Amino acid sequence: MTSEQRDHFIEQVREHHAGLRGFVRSLGVDPMWVDDVAQEAFIVAYNRLDEFDRERDFGAWLRGIARNLVINERRKDARRKRILSDNLTEVLVASSSAGEEEAEEMGDDALARVTALKECVKTLPERSLRMLKCRYEDDCSAQDIADEFSMKPPAVRKALERLRTSLRDCMEARLSPKPAH
Amino acid sequence: MNAHLSNDELLDTFLSGETGAELCDELARRAAADEGFADRLSEELRFSESLRQVLGDGADDLPTRFLGDLESASLSAEELADRVGEGAATRFEGDRLARHLWQDPAAAAGMRRRLALDEMLRLALVESKDEDAFLASLETRMWAETGKDRFVDDFAKRLDREIPVEEEVPEGRIVAFPTLGTFARMAAAAAVVAFGAYFAAQSLALRTNRTRTPAEIVKATPDAAWSHGAAPRLEERLAPGVYELKSGVVSMRLADGGELTVQGPARFEVGEDASASLHAGLALARAPMGEGRVKVRARGLSFTEPARFVGIDARSEGATEAVVFEGIGGICLGDPSICRDLSEFEAVKADHLRGRLVDVPYNPRAFSKAWSLASGVEDNLGRVRIELPGSVLAAIGAEAGEVRVFVENEAFRLDVELEVDRVVVGEFALAEPNPGQSLEAAGKLRSYLVELPPTGAGEVETSLTFDHPVVGVIFSDERLEGSDAAVGARLAESGGALRRGLASGEDEILLSEDRRTLNLRLRGGGDRLEQVRVLVALN
Repeated sequence: MTSEQRDHFIEQVREHHAGLRGFVRSLGVDPMWVDDVAQEAFIVAYNRLDEFDRERDFGAWLRGIARNLVINERRKDARRKRILSDNLTEVLVASSSAGEEEAEEMGDDALARVTALKECVKTLPERSLRMLKCRYEDDCSAQDIADEFSMKPPAVRKALERLRTSLRDCMEARLSPKPAH
Repeated sequence: MNAHLSNDELLDTFLSGETGAELCDELARRAAADEGFADRLSEELRFSESLRQVLGDGADDLPTRFLGDLESASLSAEELADRVGEGAATRFEGDRLARHLWQDPAAAAGMRRRLALDEMLRLALVESKDEDAFLASLETRMWAETGKDRFVDDFAKRLDREIPVEEEVPEGRIVAFPTLGTFARMAAAAAVVAFGAYFAAQSLALRTNRTRTPAEIVKATPDAAWSHGAAPRLEERLAPGVYELKSGVVSMRLADGGELTVQGPARFEVGEDASASLHAGLALARAPMGEGRVKVRARGLSFTEPARFVGIDARSEGATEAVVFEGIGGICLGDPSICRDLSEFEAVKADHLRGRLVDVPYNPRAFSKAWSLASGVEDNLGRVRIELPGSVLAAIGAEAGEVRVFVENEAFRLDVELEVDRVVVGEFALAEPNPGQSLEAAGKLRSYLVELPPTGAGEVETSLTFDHPVVGVIFSDERLEGSDAAVGARLAESGGALRRGLASGEDEILLSEDRRTLNLRLRGGGDRLEQVRVLVALN
């Protein structure tokens, strides 16, 4: 095993994990189980690597595997499911495409997008950052955040929506080509 | 096709879940022609609905859920999407949103983009979700599922065969794969298998004391509320039984001296032997002072080693996480043969679906709220952050004007007398050089370090109220240095060349007459790490 081979494996996971995790979540998987499903997709990919068509995009192939894993979740009994709602996942899976045409957030550009997003997050005012961290790091509900920030839950949802929109805009701006000086 | 079936056969087919259009048409035709059959069909459907309600998930909570569903019927599609995004949606709300998305494919695509962005925000904000953590966890899981410790090498070789290696790999994106540490942990895990029968032995060793209440509530946050029918019958005492905390945080002392802090919503059980089981929710468990171990179980998890302070996150149906804050924790999943040996500030996730334990990164933030109560800082004014266990002193990342409180040492005894600063109780006084006084080496103490990093925030005033009396305060540079070893402080030192302690002649300090509240007026920042060590008596 050469260090080059090891690096190559790491590179493959690094290249695809962010997009795959976004894709898995977009199919209505419970946030707590997103990484679990994504890892399972990597493991299935390993076990079926012989079936991989070298002409195809590896990321798209991974997403196809993940999509099937999520579809299978619907057949499990309620206590074992890793999805939020059968019906919701059904409609989200129907609207998805595992292929190369998948949206950037869930495709192979995801890594660059996460990197841009990290930069955008750094520019947020302290209060906004605290609110986002409460929501995404501590899994606070709107009610929890409302209690902490002395707000009403609907106002929290609006504030989070505005934050998401501004972060998405910031991310897109960072990714769009800059004019030459 | 169904015409040849008898009424009974037709009904049985329908009630067993076959609801094709042809079958329904035939049922409708016969019901229209036969009033008795129509009544029977109606009765069977009513009974089926009753069965569904009785047997479905959360059947006990059905009336509440139904009312909740009625309330949420007025929510817009956007509000429903918000609730799904938050993870707070009921099944009814999820179904309503699904119906909306079926009618509007563009909205479905928008919902997917939103969920994906949510996940990306997690990746960007949450340290424990970063690439390295994902890689480490993936490697552990691959090892666990395949039983091949050369899995990574194998995968890499196969990938090389299938996918050509690019000529150039962008610089700075490759880091060392964390194999050695993980495999070392796995080896350690194998070593604790023998401790599996601990709980059986423990239950024999425990003495049942029926005359005493196995637990009593010692403190609670103002928003603590219990579910009807699952609340303590006596205000503060908990008889053996199952309790449901709807909201807030409650700390209770178990009869053996252990402590359990539960954060609602949570369901837990107290046993006659002062043991406790967390069925759902989030809890911190401390072992009895001085000896013993945590006597708390969580859904499917048990502790076999003398972990003295642990956190348990059983909020998810399919997984339970355990974090060791102090001591060494042998954590076993259901079957005692599946165990992990955790050191301080390590965490493990029990995946109940697959019956396995998976190492996860240490991320105690979920316990912030419970920790605020369990830390022993009952109240505070000003901008105060109660740091989670495992936090290190570091000016980097500190916010201007924010006072940080660290629990340096949960419980310890002094070997010899300790020199502390002299503080006059009941009045503000300038922090100045003083002859000091001796704190006797008697009884158990807890040590807190209160710190204001040099962020140039101007004057900062704060007030901290502790749940035990303050018996010693140390604020001078030399006495802080001199007491570091005595209190067993394990926080990483970051002061460097900076002086520590309060600024002489500038900062002010007040200890209340009941010795529970410490007030500080800090003005001397800039060139020093303003620190005060507070020692409280635990017994």
